[in-house]
Amino acid sequence: MKRWWRGTFGLVAAVALGFALATLVIGAVAFETTHEALELQLDHRIAIETQALIDEGQDGHEGVAAAIRRREAASSTASLGYRLVDAQDRPVAGSLDTTVPLKPGYVELLPYKVNGEERIAQSLTTALPGGYRLLVGADRAAIDEMDNRFILLFLGAFGTMLLLGIGAAWLVGIVTRRRLARIDHTAAAIIAGDLSRRVPLTGSGDEFDSVATTLNRMLDRIAGLMENLRQVSSDVAHDLRTPLTRLQNRLDEALRALNPELQREAIEAAASEAGELLEVFSALLRIAEVEGMAARAHFQTVDLSAVVTDVAEAFRPSMESSGHQLLTSVKPGLTMPGDRRLLQQMLTNLLDNAAQHTPRGTTVRIALASTHDGISLAVTDNGPGVSEDEAPELFNRFARVDRSRSTPGHGLGLAMVAAIVAAHSGRATIAPRPGFGVHAEF
Amino acid sequence: MRILIVEDDADTNQFIARGLAELGHQVVTTADGRDGLFHATDGGFDAMVVDRMLPGLDGLALVKALRAAGNTTPVLMLTAVSGIADRVEGLEGGADDYLIKPFAFSELAARLHALGRRPSTAAEPARLIAGDIVLDLHRRTVTREGRKIALQPREFTLLAELMRHPGRIMTRTMLLERVWDFDFDPKTNIVETHLSRLRSKLNAGFDSDPIETVRGAGYLIKDGG
Repeated sequence: MKRWWRGTFGLVAAVALGFALATLVIGAVAFETTHEALELQLDHRIAIETQALIDEGQDGHEGVAAAIRRREAASSTASLGYRLVDAQDRPVAGSLDTTVPLKPGYVELLPYKVNGEERIAQSLTTALPGGYRLLVGADRAAIDEMDNRFILLFLGAFGTMLLLGIGAAWLVGIVTRRRLARIDHTAAAIIAGDLSRRVPLTGSGDEFDSVATTLNRMLDRIAGLMENLRQVSSDVAHDLRTPLTRLQNRLDEALRALNPELQREAIEAAASEAGELLEVFSALLRIAEVEGMAARAHFQTVDLSAVVTDVAEAFRPSMESSGHQLLTSVKPGLTMPGDRRLLQQMLTNLLDNAAQHTPRGTTVRIALASTHDGISLAVTDNGPGVSEDEAPELFNRFARVDRSRSTPGHGLGLAMVAAIVAAHSGRATIAPRPGFGVHAEF
Repeated sequence: MRILIVEDDADTNQFIARGLAELGHQVVTTADGRDGLFHATDGGFDAMVVDRMLPGLDGLALVKALRAAGNTTPVLMLTAVSGIADRVEGLEGGADDYLIKPFAFSELAARLHALGRRPSTAAEPARLIAGDIVLDLHRRTVTREGRKIALQPREFTLLAELMRHPGRIMTRTMLLERVWDFDFDPKTNIVETHLSRLRSKLNAGFDSDPIETVRGAGYLIKDGG
C-alpha cells in the first residue's frame, strides 16, 4: 500500500498545510478581537454623545431637541445621527430615519435609511422624562469596511502561504528524488553486475553526500571481502591440490603394493596426509569463525599480562632446547575484554613461527606494554626476517615466504593471528627489518 | 565398560561403535536424541558419547536433561563445528569432555577411558599415589621413595594430571587442554619438552622411568609401578 504522506512531497505538504491551518486559527482570533474592540469603541462614543446631549438639554426634552438641531446644523459629526421621539413615537427632532426601539439600551444592528438607501447603525436608546426617547446612532460602515479589509488581506496571506507551502513541497520533493535517484542508479548498476560503481558525490558535504560516502565505504568493504573470498577460494583450491594429489598417490601405491608391509606403510602415509588436510580445513574454519567475530559474544575481561607470561613459560623449555633465547618484558596487570584461548593461540602462533623459521641462536623477544590509548604487544626476533615485498602478504591465508616453503606449515598461522587481533578490535602490523616481528595494538 | 553412543551420522556411529567393541567394551548405539535420553536414564552405562547436533533432542539439551534428573554418567560430547563458544557451552551444560570432529579414534578412546575412571571432583583426595611417587595436592610437594623432588609449577600440574589417571593414556591434546588450557595444537613440542624435563627430575638417581610414552597415542604413568 502506498502512503502518500510518507513521501518527501507529502511530508512537506502536510507541514505546510498544518502551518496554514494554524495561521487560519490565529487570523480568526485576531479578527474577532479587533472587531469587538471597534464595536466597543463605537458604543463608547455613542454613550458619551448621549450624555453630552442630555447635559446640554438640562434634562428637558426641549433642551435636548435644541442641542440636536444645533449639531445637525453644524453637521460637524457626520458619522453620528440623532432622533428624539415623544411617547406617541412622533419625531420631535433629529434626522436619523429609523424606528426608535421602545426599550432603552444598545441595539447593535439598527436599520435606517439615508436618501432611501438601507443602512445599518449601532445605536443607544435613552428614555427621557415625559415618555420621550432619545436615540443616538453611528453608522457601522467603518467597522464593516475594516472587517472586509481584514478578511481580504488575510485571505491573500493565507493563499500565498498555501501556494508557497505546496511549491516548497514540490521543490524539496524534486531535489530529494533527484539526489536519491543517483544512489538508486548506482545500486541498480551494481545489481546489474557493475561492482565497481560508486555513488557520485556533489562535493557540497551535505547529508546526501555523507550518506553517499558511507554507502561507498560499505561498498568498498564488501568489495574487499568479496575479493578476499575469491582469493581464498582459489588459494584453497590451489594449496589443497598438492596434498590431495599426494594422498591419491599413496592410496594408488597401497592398491598396487604386493607386499603387505609396503601396503601398510602406504596406507599409514595416506592416513597422515588425510589428517594433515583435515587440519588445514579445521584451521580455515577456525579463522573464518574468528573473522565472523562470533567470538565477541562471550568476551570476558582477560589478564593479557598473565596470558603472555603463561604462554611464554610454556614455550621456554622447547625454545631453549632448540637453541633459541626467549626474552620477555611484560607489564603486569594489563587487562582487556577478549577470549583467553584465542589470545593464547595468537601468542602460540607467533612463537611457533619464531621457533620454526629462525635458526639456532636467534633471540625472540615478547614485549607487552601499555600505550596512551591501549595495549601494545610485540613479538620480534633478530632472525633473517622477510623481504619488504613479501611482508604485506603475510597476513593472508596460505601466504608463505619462499624461504619457508621447505618447512612444514600451511601459511595459516599469521592469518589466524590477524583474525584474532581484528576480532579484539586491534591492529596487527609486520615490524620493519632487521629480523621479523609482529606488532599488535589493542 | 558399558558405553552408550548417541550419534546420528551412521558412518561416525559405526566407526566409534566398532572401535570401542574391538577394545572389548559393550556398546549400545542410537541415532536419536530422545532415544538416547531414554537409554541413558535407564542407567547402567559407564560413559556416553553424545553428538552435539541430533535429531529429536539436541545433544546439549540431552545432557542438561540428564543432569537435571540427577544422572552423573560421564558424557563425552562431539561436535562438527570448530565452535569456540560451543565448547564452553557444552562443558557448562554438564558434559565432562568435548571432542571436535574429525578426531582420531585413539583420542576418543583415551578420553573415554579417562572419563570412565574419573573420580568426582568433590571426592578428590589430597594425595595422589602412583607406585613409589606421592603427590600432595595441598602442599604441592612430590616425593619418590620418600625423597623430595622439586618441580616447576607446570611440571607439577602435568604430573598431577597423569597421576589422576594412573595406567591410562593421556593424549597430547588432553594434556594441552588440562595443563595449559590450550584448545589448539601448537606446532612447537611443548608437551614433549615439559615431559622430558619432568622425567629427568623424577628419574634422577633412579633406574626406572614411571612415565611411559605410548607411540602415536600419548603418555601414561604406570600404576603401582
